Amino acid sequence: MTYLMRRLAFMFGVLVAVTFLAFSATNVIGDPLFNVVGFYASIDCDAVIAGEMEDVIGTVAGTGIGECERVIEAREKYHLDDSLPVRYGRWIVGMAQGDFGESYANQMPVSSILAERLPKSMLLMGVSMVVALGVSIPWGVAAAYRANQRFDRASTAGAFGLLSIPGFALAIILFYFFVVRWQIFPSRYMDDNIFSRLHSLVLPAASLGLPLAVVYQRLLRTDLITTLQEDFVITAKAKGLSDRRIMFRHVLRPSMFGMITVVGLNMSALIGGTIIIESIFSIPGFGRELYVSAIRDDITVVLAGVTVLATAFVVINTVVDLLYSYLDPRVRRAG
Amino acid sequence: MSANWESGVAEVAGALLTVQDLSVGFLTEQGLVRAVEGVSFDLEPGQTLGVVGESGSGKSVTAKALMNLLPSYAQVGGTVSFDGRDVFAMAASREKHFWGVEMTMVFQDPMTSLNPVKKIGEQIAESLRVHLGRSRRDALVEAGDLLEQVGIPEPGKRLSQYPHELSGGLRQRVVIAMALACGPRLLIADEPTTALDVTVQKHILDLLDYLRRTRNMAMILITHDLGVVKGRADEVMVMYAGHTMEEAPTTTLFDEMRHPYTEALLETIPRIDTPSHTRLVPIPGRPPEVIEVLDGCPFAPRCRYSIARCLTDRPGLTSHGAGHLCACHAPVGTPSGTEARAANESAGTTAAGLDMEQFTRHVPVADLGQLGAEG
Amino acid sequence: MPADTSEHTDGEKLPEVVAGPDADRAAPRRLGITFWVAIGWVALVTGAAIAAPLLPIADPDEIGIGPRASGPNWDQWFGTDTVGRDMFSRTIWGARVSLMVGFFSIVAGFLVGGMMGVVSGYRRGWTDLVLGFVTYIMLSFPTLVLFLLVILLFGQGLWTVTAALSIVVIPSVSRLARAITIAFAEREFVAAARLLGATNRRVMVREILPNVLIPMSALLLLGLGLTIVAEGGLAFLGLSVADGFSWGKMIQLGAGLRTLQTAPWVAFFPIGAMFLTVLSLNLAGDQLRQYFDVRELGIGGR
Repeated sequence: MTYLMRRLAFMFGVLVAVTFLAFSATNVIGDPLFNVVGFYASIDCDAVIAGEMEDVIGTVAGTGIGECERVIEAREKYHLDDSLPVRYGRWIVGMAQGDFGESYANQMPVSSILAERLPKSMLLMGVSMVVALGVSIPWGVAAAYRANQRFDRASTAGAFGLLSIPGFALAIILFYFFVVRWQIFPSRYMDDNIFSRLHSLVLPAASLGLPLAVVYQRLLRTDLITTLQEDFVITAKAKGLSDRRIMFRHVLRPSMFGMITVVGLNMSALIGGTIIIESIFSIPGFGRELYVSAIRDDITVVLAGVTVLATAFVVINTVVDLLYSYLDPRVRRAG
Repeated sequence: MSANWESGVAEVAGALLTVQDLSVGFLTEQGLVRAVEGVSFDLEPGQTLGVVGESGSGKSVTAKALMNLLPSYAQVGGTVSFDGRDVFAMAASREKHFWGVEMTMVFQDPMTSLNPVKKIGEQIAESLRVHLGRSRRDALVEAGDLLEQVGIPEPGKRLSQYPHELSGGLRQRVVIAMALACGPRLLIADEPTTALDVTVQKHILDLLDYLRRTRNMAMILITHDLGVVKGRADEVMVMYAGHTMEEAPTTTLFDEMRHPYTEALLETIPRIDTPSHTRLVPIPGRPPEVIEVLDGCPFAPRCRYSIARCLTDRPGLTSHGAGHLCACHAPVGTPSGTEARAANESAGTTAAGLDMEQFTRHVPVADLGQLGAEG
Repeated sequence: MPADTSEHTDGEKLPEVVAGPDADRAAPRRLGITFWVAIGWVALVTGAAIAAPLLPIADPDEIGIGPRASGPNWDQWFGTDTVGRDMFSRTIWGARVSLMVGFFSIVAGFLVGGMMGVVSGYRRGWTDLVLGFVTYIMLSFPTLVLFLLVILLFGQGLWTVTAALSIVVIPSVSRLARAITIAFAEREFVAAARLLGATNRRVMVREILPNVLIPMSALLLLGLGLTIVAEGGLAFLGLSVADGFSWGKMIQLGAGLRTLQTAPWVAFFPIGAMFLTVLSLNLAGDQLRQYFDVRELGIGGR
């Protein structure tokens, strides 16, 4: 039990560190006030209100004092006068209750933005993972079974090629052929029903999933070949079991460790890729939103994004560790 | 119970297994490696054949050839028939319920032979389910019975344990139980005790013997240690460099061996009745690389009896009595053999250039300065 | 003791067959022709990139050198883009940024990550824990967001982008270096050096470092491929070097729906250039890795 406790404590420590770093960093860039009140942020409104300074603002937007009131209102509303740790604490508390604050840019609550856009991104990532695993596992098994014969050599060459194409380039190539020339898939994300959604996601998921599939397949193949040299495989053959049974029931499970480690580690890559793919295929997902928000200093959204992503990463890695102990009973003992 | 071995008892009076002129070669970059050449033997139901030889002698490869475990780059020749059926034809037609059912094998290292991530019960039950169509529950019950038959205490508990939770000896018993699951008529044991403690070795060998007798199961016992087969095998076949050197019923082999290699092997076994500080006589040199195609007898370079002819003519198997075959030009205990040995001893060297001096025995002297067996 | 007959045999190993399933690891200990062809391409591209200002090619920024959006012809080998710029020249000039950022970021990442890993692996204890924690945080921080933050804080200059990219590389490199260091630190020659009175620092530098550098330099080429791709992705999003353009930026310019319909080569030539270069780096790097016999350790991530 203590192992689990330690893992959880570690997890929390990392999350706190990550979010605090992000929080501090984002509040150092530009002035969040700027997003709300525009260039009024640079004026010393305290002085104007106290009558010490003459209002420099012209009459275009109304009286200067009115605008400065708005500035001070905004400062109070967003607690921008408090010190950094306090604001961080306030933010954490709010987050624990599901309140991520409001987007500076459009005043909408971030949680609703998340609710609307996150599922689409998750659907994309989920389908991509399915593609990646669905392609890599059979491929790896087939390649390992006839290792170094024609199929394996050909697939290694193909793998190299796919590995050398960056995800976004693959996306563009696919987009060009399947959308522009042959018009099999739509150019935008069709949100009507589950079928149109999946249909729209075929190319994006392929662009994300195929490069990953190649990496996984190579790892799986290597580990399978190693496991196939083990003595217990000969014993299984001596028992008269079919090759298929041996491969899937005896060899596959112990060979999946390398692949699973990388799946966990690759979460970061998957998420980064999602942002790009969402841009190319016009999918209104969270990745695109995150990117756009970062460009325009919409801190609350960015922070929410960082938290969600970091949490996902850490949780997945912990799950991967626990999965290890399920797959290999010898690890369970070691705890 | 489950086993269907009962049918084997009243079988036709023919050999269960007939191997004729078996040869195995491996295609490598350096050429054809001849691992086994011209091996023939018969095995009656319920009998034990001991196959003895050093590493590289081809004994394991022979077993694997019988069990259809050779890789795709192996070239196999000769015929093997089991109960009248052509084994190689069955291999070619991917017969599914022969190996693991009628003919099974037990390997040397029980730690690596068992799948480390599967429970023991499952591994034994697998054969029952795949070959005999048992349900999962029935198969597990039978597995428990099998564990009991091989002498494992608390069999019920063991079913849900993993291999790494058992000791070496127990693991080997599990491996044996696994091999026996479908009631085979032939069990091949390839060095079943080499990886085990000396104290455990005897128990395992006794167990194998007991199982053979109670199930009327034939057995091929492969080992490098001649001492193991004495008293446990009906017949012994001695192999060297892929060839059969000598084949005889066990007592005949030990009492009236004919091949110099067999004689040398016997002399390497430490005996309880030799005086202490007697120097053991090792066989000098090493087995040949199997790549080389040899003229003459493969053992000649290390043989105390070799004559000129041994270097050029490969000796064929000749009969030296009922069921006793030997491949040698100057066999032990024959006039030509004795003559050859004496000639070599006086000359100090053999036709192959082997130094005969190293074979002179040290007579134990009450000499305080003399240390142990190694000079 | 009986010499030959009692050897512990493990059921007779079948003879080593090079064509067998183990061929991947019993790899040829020579760098074959694939390696040299790949290196040749990389050298060609690098050479062209470095010499770009001196080459007799068109000005990459000059608009209207040729007819707009025209395909490859004898005047413009790679055609022109939507505003009439020479694609061939642009491809070569684009290589400059792509290669520079890629190269310096991987080298910096290897140096810093390598040092971190070696120190971490050698000293263990608190140093290892702290560095490990830092590494894990760097890994957990979503790559793109990390990049966004760094760039927004410090702008989009060439060296800023390079530094940001090297930060992304560091955790994986550090992990690898640490693993190798741990494996070596337990070997005898290190203990011997310490017995002879070498200080920790000396041991790290003279005994461990050379042994770490060799396998890692084999992975350098592979890493370079990764950073070029990473830079490409960032440039595609407009996050790379602002002054000047790389292949990624060119791809972005060519990736609009309209442009793809009328002038697909605008996107495909830079894609092709990047693909060939990264492929060559992967092939050469893989050969090198087999030559030095480095275990395949997934660096993962982009």
